[in-house]
Amino acid sequence: MSFIARDVRVVVCAGTGGVGKTTIAAALAAQAAEEGRRVLVLTIDPSQRLKTTLGLSDSGETSELKHPRIKGSLSAAVVNSKKTFDDFVLRSARSKESAQRILNNKLYVQLSTTLSGSQEFTALERLYEAVESGNYDLVILDTPPAKHAMDFLKAPQKLGALFQDKITRWFRDPKGGDKSFLVGIFQMGTKQVIKALEKLTGSEFVRELSDFFSSIQSWQGELEERTNNVHRLLVAASTQFVLVCSYDRSKLLEAFKFAKAIRQDGYHLHSLILNRAFPEWLANRQDRTFPSDPAGQMAAKWAGYFEERRKNSSILSELQNQSVQIRELPEMKEDIRTLDGVFEIVDRLKEQT
Amino acid sequence: MKIHLVTGKGGVGKSAVAAALAYRCAQDGQKTLLAELGDESFYQDYLGLKPLREGQTVRSPLGFDVALWSGASCLREYALYLLKVESLYKLFFENPVSRTLIQVAPALSELAIMGKVTSGPPRNVGPKLDYDAIVVDAYATGHFLALLKAPIGMIEAVRVGPMAEQSKGILKILRDPQITNYHLVCLPEELPVQESLELDREIQALVNVKPYLWLNKLIDFPKSLKAQGPEYEKDFFLKQQRQDSTQATIEAAFKGRWSSLPFVFEADETKIVAALAKGVKR
Repeated sequence: MSFIARDVRVVVCAGTGGVGKTTIAAALAAQAAEEGRRVLVLTIDPSQRLKTTLGLSDSGETSELKHPRIKGSLSAAVVNSKKTFDDFVLRSARSKESAQRILNNKLYVQLSTTLSGSQEFTALERLYEAVESGNYDLVILDTPPAKHAMDFLKAPQKLGALFQDKITRWFRDPKGGDKSFLVGIFQMGTKQVIKALEKLTGSEFVRELSDFFSSIQSWQGELEERTNNVHRLLVAASTQFVLVCSYDRSKLLEAFKFAKAIRQDGYHLHSLILNRAFPEWLANRQDRTFPSDPAGQMAAKWAGYFEERRKNSSILSELQNQSVQIRELPEMKEDIRTLDGVFEIVDRLKEQT
Repeated sequence: MKIHLVTGKGGVGKSAVAAALAYRCAQDGQKTLLAELGDESFYQDYLGLKPLREGQTVRSPLGFDVALWSGASCLREYALYLLKVESLYKLFFENPVSRTLIQVAPALSELAIMGKVTSGPPRNVGPKLDYDAIVVDAYATGHFLALLKAPIGMIEAVRVGPMAEQSKGILKILRDPQITNYHLVCLPEELPVQESLELDREIQALVNVKPYLWLNKLIDFPKSLKAQGPEYEKDFFLKQQRQDSTQATIEAAFKGRWSSLPFVFEADETKIVAALAKGVKR
């Protein structure tokens, strides 16, 4: 049986930084490609080594990977945040001039290059595009690095809020002139708020901000529609979340919170993968006694340590009762450098399916 | 007052090392604050604290304070301090539109956080921040650089006015090695080492201060390991070789500004922090 069922069209790989999300995303993609599906894996900020493994380029172009075990097709691409954002602006703006105006805005440059929410937006934008293209049976998205796994899901809402009509109108004409907006007490407040903002930040900043908001006004409609479509895609039953985690107590507690939160918000949690759960030599060994030479003593220490950590999994017992699949992956002997290495992880996953 | 900014690749043990640094400072008799960033607390579960919400500070049983600083909470504090008039502040912050604006306005959050981090003496902006040492469990690599770039970018975007003035003040503190120390946490593995080397260069380019590196989770392997033998011994041998070569790489790049921290064979977080605290003395 497939780990990722055939009717699943999108897999979102979530988890905190450094747990091995990208590698696992690649392994899930490789497995589906082995089963004959056409698969795309989208990664964000991959390491140079993984880029080499997957034959990726920074320009965001899609490359197809070859391996004897692939029966369908396996493609990979890096989400180039700045480029995706710029493309979106160029496509959505009504005229070339208005597009250029926003691309030149100093605050836009900061928005599209710093990491506050824009990476998440562009990742989802790229995901939506790939699904809509119809070129793939399955698209797997690796998520941007975050302190908390939940940050990824909050980001689009935050960014979406930027394009609410209210806020653009607010800057468009704070002094009045927009007749429909003049009506109401809010106008009085607006003037004072802008004044307060000026006092805090300076008039030049407010001018840039105002320019920024009035420039994006023209692509508001498009963005709102896009945000809604992406949300619809994410809550669909054919979109499944895979949470990658380690056995650290604090990380497991977070995973538990994440699992609860994503269900509450209507997303579907497919599985929890506990990565680097134990060294490979421990997995293959029934005997837990070791010789008393220095290496044996160290092995006994390790075995005890991993045993102790595994007890933390009691945190997850509630999830097990809710049809969330839980898998363990060993710490691989060697760093993953080739597709062969990726398929080795596929085999470890299969052993448990 | 000293500011310790702790960063590194995701998953290298930044938070544990930051807590250990704070513990160490507290043990040395310094009045210490451990600050974490974002709108949800990690240390609450990690150190077994009382519930910690954004903008709040609680006492840790280890003898230092822990605060959770978010962009919104830092900006709110700053605004209240600067506007002084409560009603104007309320109008500004209890307005759904401006709340949204604060969340998304480019770099505003990052700038507010860096403003808070550097708000103590000698800048003395905002509510009094009365500590001998502030240890900040800052974000991982990319997001950390965004924090440092926020005041620099703002000076470029806006040349005059309070925003530019504040940014200049923040940057001055960040560039003063007598006040601000940068700590990179790293693992003896290829990827984190590569990322640390890049991060080291970028931090120096941005603030012209040399970071200190903590090579975390170094395993004390027995001397006599052989490449043959049981599976576990082969694994240890390989790991030892990898560990040795990464140490050589680190030494070449960091010459004298790095130390190692031991792998702690404990599942209990407080024990890990206590063990690391012994190692972070330099």
